[in-house]
Amino acid sequence: MTRPQIESGNHTSTAGHRRPETDRHGIALQQPGADRKRNWWSGCVARTAYTVATLALSISCASADDVDTSLATIRAVGPRGSGSTSARRARDHIAQQGIDVLPRLILAMDSDNIVALNWYRSAYEQIVDQEWKRKQPRFPLDWLKQFATDQKRHGRTRRLVLRLVDRLEPGFRKQLISTLYNDREFRREAIDTLLRQADAALSTKDLTVARAAYQRAFRHARDSQQILQSADKLAKVGVTVDVVQQMGFVTHWFVLGPFDAPGKSGFSRTFPPESQVDLSASYTGQTGRRIGWKQVQTTDRLGQINLIRAIASTREAVGYAYTELNSPKQQDAQIRCGADDNLSVWLNGQSVFARKQWLNGTRLDRFSAPVTLRTGRNTLLVKICQGPQHKNPAVPNNWSLQLRFCDPSGSGVGLTRLLPDPATNNN
Amino acid sequence: MPLSTVQATATRPSIFLINLLLPLMWATQTVQSADWPGWRGGTRSGVSSESDIPTTWSLDHGIGWRVALPGAGISSPVIHGSRVFLTSSDGPRQANLHVICLSRDDGRLLWHQRLWGTSPTRYHSTKSSMASPTPVTDGKHLYTFFGTGDVFCFEVTGDLVWHRSLAAEYGPFENRFSATSSPVIYKDLLIVQCDHYGPCYVVALDRKTGDNRWKVDRPDTWLSWSSPQLVTLTSNNSQELVVCGSNRIDALSPETGRKLWSLGGMRHECIPTPILAHGLIYAVSGPKGPTLAIRPGGRGDISESHVVWRNVRGAPFVPSAIVAGDLYYLVDDNGIATCLDAHTGENIWQKRLPGKYTASPVATRSHVYFSNEEGVTIVIRANTRRYEEAARNPVGSPIFASAAIAHGRLFLRTTRDLLCIDGKTKSSN
Repeated sequence: MTRPQIESGNHTSTAGHRRPETDRHGIALQQPGADRKRNWWSGCVARTAYTVATLALSISCASADDVDTSLATIRAVGPRGSGSTSARRARDHIAQQGIDVLPRLILAMDSDNIVALNWYRSAYEQIVDQEWKRKQPRFPLDWLKQFATDQKRHGRTRRLVLRLVDRLEPGFRKQLISTLYNDREFRREAIDTLLRQADAALSTKDLTVARAAYQRAFRHARDSQQILQSADKLAKVGVTVDVVQQMGFVTHWFVLGPFDAPGKSGFSRTFPPESQVDLSASYTGQTGRRIGWKQVQTTDRLGQINLIRAIASTREAVGYAYTELNSPKQQDAQIRCGADDNLSVWLNGQSVFARKQWLNGTRLDRFSAPVTLRTGRNTLLVKICQGPQHKNPAVPNNWSLQLRFCDPSGSGVGLTRLLPDPATNNN
Repeated sequence: MPLSTVQATATRPSIFLINLLLPLMWATQTVQSADWPGWRGGTRSGVSSESDIPTTWSLDHGIGWRVALPGAGISSPVIHGSRVFLTSSDGPRQANLHVICLSRDDGRLLWHQRLWGTSPTRYHSTKSSMASPTPVTDGKHLYTFFGTGDVFCFEVTGDLVWHRSLAAEYGPFENRFSATSSPVIYKDLLIVQCDHYGPCYVVALDRKTGDNRWKVDRPDTWLSWSSPQLVTLTSNNSQELVVCGSNRIDALSPETGRKLWSLGGMRHECIPTPILAHGLIYAVSGPKGPTLAIRPGGRGDISESHVVWRNVRGAPFVPSAIVAGDLYYLVDDNGIATCLDAHTGENIWQKRLPGKYTASPVATRSHVYFSNEEGVTIVIRANTRRYEEAARNPVGSPIFASAAIAHGRLFLRTTRDLLCIDGKTKSSN
């Protein structure tokens, strides 16, 4: 039986130290394994060289050559397959230029046009494959390393380049990522590394180091699992942290309901709170009994509120949740939310999110919408629909809500509640 | 009786010879019967017309080659001539996409395209990735669809021809197990079924350019993972595109996307792909849902008029069913295998097979192959109304992908590698 392998291993060039070659933009082309002293000074030089070379590439784009034309052709690919034939020719042309165009190609990949990106990538892979096949491959290693660490660049392109760098200089990736706990693209891997380091310190009973590492992990983590993991570990070493505040969950509400909404009519039906929120008013509810606002607070670590407990166990109904929040400044933020079955959200009286969908589970950050918070008081009203019972009576008819305000990275934006603490109606 | 010329059976199976289905399409003229050009083969029903396919193998016998794969996926291998195509994905949120081509004879890598996906969704940690849909080929081009909402066309030699980002154009896909629907070729169209939590639609792309030829929105549909099926009726040479979705089956005109007929009775979430045999469409959705044997060719609501038989026994949630000869086989996710009479829906036998099942069965003229999640393939004899097990064959790694049969070999994808089962080679290990 034969056992072929896909993904060849690291290239094993035995090239020794040579005078660095450069491409026409002055970017040094190096062979794998070439000696490089790593110190602060050489780091500064490398960063400066990267900046200058990248600037030079930008300037050269002003005097377009064939490569620039080809890059622009690919950039112009549009929806519905438009421009594919031209892009294919342009890709071939770029790939034929070889390693010298690699930095320009990588800079062109700093784009959100996924179709263009894949055409660029197709050229990138050809160039890199061809270069590896040479007896003495030459890659602009220092430039690639600087690009991979340049947080202004697109994450997916940095990741691609970092893979190449790691092949050129094994171990570079691991070393680099351990420092990137504040990096949008590599944060998760860096926090994983940090948590492992903290665990190792804890296993040797070095509590000071472990505590500091867990605290750093908690502070920089944005992934809910990593946040919870860090918080749990910190609790074990005697430190209490606030997950709700870190992630920006809204946990204190006034709730009202259930209003009657037969079938799936609730989403499009309007009830009084959508015209005016009057926390002292009462209304006729689903069963004909009077209903009024009541304060609830969830103690769920991820801010989920169980509306069956907070309002009622019911079906084919609508409930509302209302709160007021203080923002220390006017700021752009994201509202991230989810509900079972669906939800509509008004911030300061303006509709900011609505999604008509049934049979949902409440999942963290399922939906997201941009919002602007005012300085000081902000009002928040949420309508949550409860649909009919599933055909299978064994399927629970859950009714729940989860909502938070955060920055684009997922960190809470420092809101505080303006409502008084609820009596004790913990949910 | 060759499967391509079996009798159609409408309501009296032994009398009428009508509605002969010709699943080989205009577009697959270059595809040979020994090929396996897409999801569940050339007929999209899991059945090969070959007969000399290995039925026994083990870790040290009968495995011609075994190739470690990049990333994860449950898409099936596609075989055309001497080439084997496969997709996979890896990286953060499985957004890195891979399309590879191997030599059928020795597993040697012929080419490997690496791409980025637009909009990765949630996926099942072991049972899916962004590479769940199976590619399809006409022998000149390979078409791949990924759970990220991207469709790619390649030359079979590996060159990218076009890329469509459906997720960028029509909104990100929302899914909890990743999209799995495998596209189908119809004439010069590539038809993709996109049912998810967001707006659902079926779109027909021009195979040459990737442009839309038609797009039909499905506002009453939500998440499904079923693949579209093409039905050709020789009675009037018309063709129907059958799509399973929430609570119903629709047939569309493959030329225009216009709805032809609709039939209720499916479960809310459909995963199995409808299959064709004996002039009938067999559609199943579970768990505990029905199998419906449906006469195609209707118009409007055919729920009352075109159901030939209905049986709620043994319906799976994930694996598709299969018809081999006159028998209809199901295996549910927990390993309960059921055999029904394909003409009448009559219960014949039920048997607990070992393990759990995600992969759909495949069959030759003589055997049916059920691969379980532990990596054991149970082979039973077809054409007998009794349960007759021929072999249990392990490969040592879990299997979630459906097998392919081509050129005298069986191709099995495990969670780690792709195996070519030739039934002859002795391991050198």
